[in-house]
Amino acid sequence: MGFATSQSSMNHQSTQSSATLNGTIAIRFTLNGREVEIAVDPTERLLDTLRYRLNLPGSKEGCGEGECGACTVTIDDLPANSCLVPTFQVRGCNVRTIESIPTSSLQPMLETGATQCGACTPGVVVTANWIKEHSSVLASHTLRALMAGNLCRCTGYDGIIDGLEKWIGNPKGGRP
Amino acid sequence: MIKTDVAPTLAGGPTLIPTDMPTTNRPMNMGQSMDDNTSRLDGVAKITGAAKYSSDMLLPNAVFARFVRCPFGAANLETVDDSAARKVPGVIDIEITPKACTYNGQPVGHVVAESPVAVNRALKALKLNWKKDSVKTSIRDTKQVGLLKGNAPDADVTIRAVYSTPVQTHSSLETHGGVVDHKGDKATVYASTQGTFSVRDGFGDALSLKGSDFEVVCEYVGGGFGSKLGGPGKELMLAAKLSQKLKRPAYVMCNRAEEHLDTGNRPSSVTSVWLSLKKDGSVVGGEVMTYGGVGVANGGGGCNVPSGRYTFANVNKSHEDVSFNAGGPRAFRAPGRPQGAFAEELMLDEAAAELGMDPLALKRKLAIDDVYREMLDQGAKLIGWGERKANGSQTSVMRTGFGVGIAGWGSASPGGNAEVVIHPDGSVESRTGTQDIGTGQRTTMGICTADAIGIPLSMVTVQIGRSSLPPGPGSGGSVTSPTTAPTMMNAATQARTKLFEVLARQGGDNAADFTVKDGVVLKRGEKFLSWKDACAKLPADGVMGSASTGDGGKGNSQGVQFVKVVVDCETGIIYPKHVIAIQSCGRVICRKTAESQIIGGVIQGLSYGMFENRILDRNVGAMVNPNLEWYKILGPCEMPHIEPVLWAHGQTGVKALGEPPTIPTAGALACAVFNAIGAPVRHLPLTPDKVLSALEGARS
Repeated sequence: MGFATSQSSMNHQSTQSSATLNGTIAIRFTLNGREVEIAVDPTERLLDTLRYRLNLPGSKEGCGEGECGACTVTIDDLPANSCLVPTFQVRGCNVRTIESIPTSSLQPMLETGATQCGACTPGVVVTANWIKEHSSVLASHTLRALMAGNLCRCTGYDGIIDGLEKWIGNPKGGRP
Repeated sequence: MIKTDVAPTLAGGPTLIPTDMPTTNRPMNMGQSMDDNTSRLDGVAKITGAAKYSSDMLLPNAVFARFVRCPFGAANLETVDDSAARKVPGVIDIEITPKACTYNGQPVGHVVAESPVAVNRALKALKLNWKKDSVKTSIRDTKQVGLLKGNAPDADVTIRAVYSTPVQTHSSLETHGGVVDHKGDKATVYASTQGTFSVRDGFGDALSLKGSDFEVVCEYVGGGFGSKLGGPGKELMLAAKLSQKLKRPAYVMCNRAEEHLDTGNRPSSVTSVWLSLKKDGSVVGGEVMTYGGVGVANGGGGCNVPSGRYTFANVNKSHEDVSFNAGGPRAFRAPGRPQGAFAEELMLDEAAAELGMDPLALKRKLAIDDVYREMLDQGAKLIGWGERKANGSQTSVMRTGFGVGIAGWGSASPGGNAEVVIHPDGSVESRTGTQDIGTGQRTTMGICTADAIGIPLSMVTVQIGRSSLPPGPGSGGSVTSPTTAPTMMNAATQARTKLFEVLARQGGDNAADFTVKDGVVLKRGEKFLSWKDACAKLPADGVMGSASTGDGGKGNSQGVQFVKVVVDCETGIIYPKHVIAIQSCGRVICRKTAESQIIGGVIQGLSYGMFENRILDRNVGAMVNPNLEWYKILGPCEMPHIEPVLWAHGQTGVKALGEPPTIPTAGALACAVFNAIGAPVRHLPLTPDKVLSALEGARS
């Protein structure tokens, strides 16, 4: 791609030729426990592949540049903003989305009011689920700090932190 | 942890309020609502990602489109070369009209393609030749706003100051737009909207269909805060045009940059004021001149000061909206109020400092009624106002400050309709077309139905967010629940009466002999039938109650907020620690969703007070922070402990809750910072540079 397309997010003035970008890349990866084989455009974002091509719209697009966390998935067991990941980079990886998290475990998040409009919530839950599965990180980080990559515009973070405390069974949410 | 042994006087409350209480256990609010324990009915769908928003309606064979927009504040699009863009694989059409633009983000055309990737690549491949023009980017580019002259002859103290607030964008997590699926003689519109019926009515002839031949659907909305009121908007109008032309579903959603630039905002404001007071704190004269920064709009920049919540004698007010090269405002949660409250609350604290008064005592004296005074007294105890030190008296690096502000909102119901159907299997269906923008409409409608009939909530299903359902109000001005709650309860009561009439006819009784309690039908006070067995006696299509309410039903709600902050005087960083948000809203339907609304209002107010600012490049008029990285909103680590207090003293009827909790927050925060550092910061947001320069000013 080079510098020719490295312009502002509005990008109206590029001289980029599409000639070199006509090809697609065939990749395989594991998605929510199943093997997926798909040909992707080199510029295709993982978020778009999941939403528009693999019929998994649970991951949301909030900001499209890795600030809000609404599109959080895990890639090889680490949380990632899927809007920042070109799909071809997950070749051979294990990707998990909100659709893979068992609903039965989510009751505490419901009871504490961790959601309002709900657009941030899938990303919140993916991060929260990762924390629950890796609770040793709580020895060095507060829940609040670990949740700092997920923005909520409606009702903020107390319901989320309280839900996580109940869910994980860890009483130290790191309330300031 | 702050300990308090305050005994609340709220009816039904316990005697001890732990201030560090989790959201799920707010003993102060228990017993204050119709339903203390119910969680959102759509919570599971939201938490599991199963809830389908308009932006999730990815229909087979859909086309994707985005606007081509002006990258500068003022520029003439002179030539367009779309030859490379048209060669991008998957591009269907490009339509661009050269014209003169007057704000960053103004559409000049669109690209439509088979995939989002193709749309984005085609946008990048466009060669657009813009000739830039000079720009104005703020109120002060047009208006020289200085200190006002004048004072009341009998004044003991007169203060003069200029306050300003920035543009705040709504920043809903789901952006604007939707999907139109036009099938020739029918169409479905999936809209991200706060007004299902205003979208339906706003299409006019754009769909070439009668309103009865298309349906607007918005079962879930990812936030709106006022920006998604009104009609279909330019995004859905484009989708309507493309879907008809291409005979395929058309998907048009803004990206985050477009969202900041062209979907409305809270306008900026500048307020210049002089205020004369007597030694006892009474206001004897003053003048307030406000300016609203409305971008390319001609109006909508109102700045609500004086607010009418304090008694000010002989204070004249004038206002002027100022246009410049930027996207215009839209309604934003309590339009005009937070910017006015910021100036008003800080102005009063500055006056109190001049008078040597406690600002709480001054505000208590000037507040227009005793409800505010009671709320102020209660909140002062909860926040620990007694620990407040005199302005500027602290010398440590970390200084603590306390501030207070008050809020009010009147909501006039626009009227609405609802239906309740009782089916022979015992299930109950509530129907209203009104949408849920996150407020809890689905949940409150279920609670109202269950409560009115006398059955458990689990028997009720709620249908909302479709224009084929009974028309309801737009979610704006905090009118939704005040309108839909009594309407739904009426409909439910009517359906229940019809059930009783069926039972009475079959048994030779009077309908008035029956009632329902806890899911059991009673006849003359004795158990008659289980709910299910009673409903089994209904005809196959069940019975339906329908109700409508007309205009009116205006009811005021009031609130006060106390903010405690710690300011780091070496870095200028503000750390809000604790917020008490006391709020009346009449009869509370659902405790959890009501608390959620109050906390959300406080968060948006703090975020407005500390971070949010649409920054325009003053040379070319382009927004330099059209994202969520440099347009910062409050995150989990900046959040203080927020305690919503539901004030239900003698309240009847359902009243406004959405708007008022965001009105006083930024003002109270600014007062707390003033208290901590001894110098006022008169311009939002309260960023470290401004805090440090205020401190420097105080030292010199």
